[in-house]
Amino acid sequence: MIRKLSIALAAAALFAAPAAAQNIKIGFSLAKTGLFAQAVPSQLNAYELWREQVNARGGLDVAGKKRMVEFVQYDDQSNPGNAVKIYEKLITDDKVELLLAPWGTPHHFAVAPVLEKYKFPMVGNTAASVQLREIKPGNIWFVTSAIPDKMAAELVAMAKANGYKTAGIVANVLPLAKEIKASLVPALQKAGIAVKVSEEYPPDIKDMTAILTKVKAAAPEALFVLSYPGDSVLYAKQAKEIGIAAPFQFVAVGPTMDFFGKVVGPSANGLVTMGHWSPAKADWKRAKPFYDAYVKKFNEKPDYLDTVVSYMSLEILEQAVAKAGTDKQKLRQAIASMTFDTINGPVKFQGVQNAITPTAFLQIQGSELQLVWPKAIATSPFKAKTGW
Amino acid sequence: MDALLSGQLLVAALVTGALYALTALGLNLVYGTMRLLNVAHGDLVMIGAYVAFWAFTLLALSPLLGLAAAAALAALFGLALYHGLFRRLLAGGKAAQRLEANSLLLFFGVSVIVQNLMALQFTATPRGYQYLDTVYRWGNAAITGNRVAAFAVAVILCGGVLAFLRFHVTGLAIKALIQRRDAAAVVGVNVERVQQLALCLGFASAAVAGALVSMTEQISPFMGFPFTIAAFVVIILGGLGNVTGGIAAGLLLGVLETYGVALTSSAYRSILVYGVFVLILLLRPQGLLGGRRIVR
Repeated sequence: MIRKLSIALAAAALFAAPAAAQNIKIGFSLAKTGLFAQAVPSQLNAYELWREQVNARGGLDVAGKKRMVEFVQYDDQSNPGNAVKIYEKLITDDKVELLLAPWGTPHHFAVAPVLEKYKFPMVGNTAASVQLREIKPGNIWFVTSAIPDKMAAELVAMAKANGYKTAGIVANVLPLAKEIKASLVPALQKAGIAVKVSEEYPPDIKDMTAILTKVKAAAPEALFVLSYPGDSVLYAKQAKEIGIAAPFQFVAVGPTMDFFGKVVGPSANGLVTMGHWSPAKADWKRAKPFYDAYVKKFNEKPDYLDTVVSYMSLEILEQAVAKAGTDKQKLRQAIASMTFDTINGPVKFQGVQNAITPTAFLQIQGSELQLVWPKAIATSPFKAKTGW
Repeated sequence: MDALLSGQLLVAALVTGALYALTALGLNLVYGTMRLLNVAHGDLVMIGAYVAFWAFTLLALSPLLGLAAAAALAALFGLALYHGLFRRLLAGGKAAQRLEANSLLLFFGVSVIVQNLMALQFTATPRGYQYLDTVYRWGNAAITGNRVAAFAVAVILCGGVLAFLRFHVTGLAIKALIQRRDAAAVVGVNVERVQQLALCLGFASAAVAGALVSMTEQISPFMGFPFTIAAFVVIILGGLGNVTGGIAAGLLLGVLETYGVALTSSAYRSILVYGVFVLILLLRPQGLLGGRRIVR
């Protein structure tokens, strides 16, 4: 009896095996622990939502054949060196058929040579640096339009268009902030906007009183706070306390994240931040359904920056795979040549960069983030900040 | 110069210093009584912050009440660790140096486990809430209500612990254990009981600091490390095991950071803090107020 049962189970397993093989293995590593761990849920949530949606539709369309998505994921402990080893393992050992991006610029830079070595195409997402352009095109692409030098130029254009003649800069010393500042200072000078105060601070700053006291004394009309999520909250809380009254206050990274509104509250109204997406943009047909699905699944708003670019990278991959399958050469050609329909409108790559999505800025207006710049895609006009 | 004389900097220095003092207080009690190097101290701050956050978010409980729950939970955690990890270690009669090294490794493990359990349970997403965020102005100084509350609670608790150590018989027993462990046992101090109490008190005060911090900044499972570092700097500045010295050093660090940055630049903050730290280690290794008898 037992023998018969064993044979039956073995036979069942044999029949079940081909069904399991139909799954498509997609690999990635994320900084689930360590220095960058706070930033990663925004990206991982996008991955999980996408997998759920694709599998609910019957699987990923791989050149006409539906296959259920299965993730192979690791924690790189916020160490780009670990990401390099993991992506090699994903390709050579786990034999994944597709790759998703790790979190952050340093990790993208670290895995780019691995992709090049194995000629394995991957659509990047949460990376923003002028140095992206120096990466050899062919196996990696970047969906973001928030490139530091472009952002600096657009910020100055926005300040000038609103008639501001004086500026202040408060900048973290981490790479993104440094890159924006490096382009912002000459752009302000060129536009005739006087920089009245410029301060830098370390990433572990716990109190900004001394800096903001100087800013208050200088009273610039446009204040550029080149910050990261933790220090963005610190800025908003202490600027309110000290009474920074600049009508144009740009806070770089943080205000697009759901927790920012919960910590800072209505005081954040009027802050401008980096981001090129809004669910209120009616002609981006996929935007609002994505927003609604995200809120339903996670009971919070998506990060308008990292979650959005991560989801865009998945939409691009999905559409490219539907056309080209998983053959690396065909997939590479598809990503490089197709125009993709995403939650952020159409996307097409030139070299490694997204050539269509404009560099844009969001403003907190009431409880919503509205696109306010450039005017061509604005969902609401810019409104000067009138207080905290 | 006007900025230097403004009340704004003084307010910032006092609030920062009071939170440093409270955070370091618990580390000092644990080290002083048992020579345990608690590198998970910042994670207790994190636990306290999460307790206050959830109490506020789910039960609409004021963080000023939630901090009592945070303290109780942290004290229970301390008790569990004492019986599960440290009791045998402390009873083993090992040399103080070996005890320090062992405890450092054990607490490092505790830190990793606590951080990752919290990340698994609550995700690494930063969280926060608004409480008492009305700005009050006096002359040229302004302060939000939550920072006033954090300062007041920190000062009251530090003062309360100092009074307890000076006037209460159990407090005197803790002091005796800090100063002469062997002699304390000889004169009838119940070492086991006092150790447990000091560990619970140390853990609870860190959790209270976390509850206060949660009112003013965002929290995450990985927020603890900077608090561990700050607490170690403070207790070494004040003299290891010297509770009064630690509180004074916390306030001094707050003043040093705030006015040092105002006089120079934020970029020099770490240089200033660690420069003074190294200077104190070279010139007064027993700490600002530490007596030689306390340093083992």
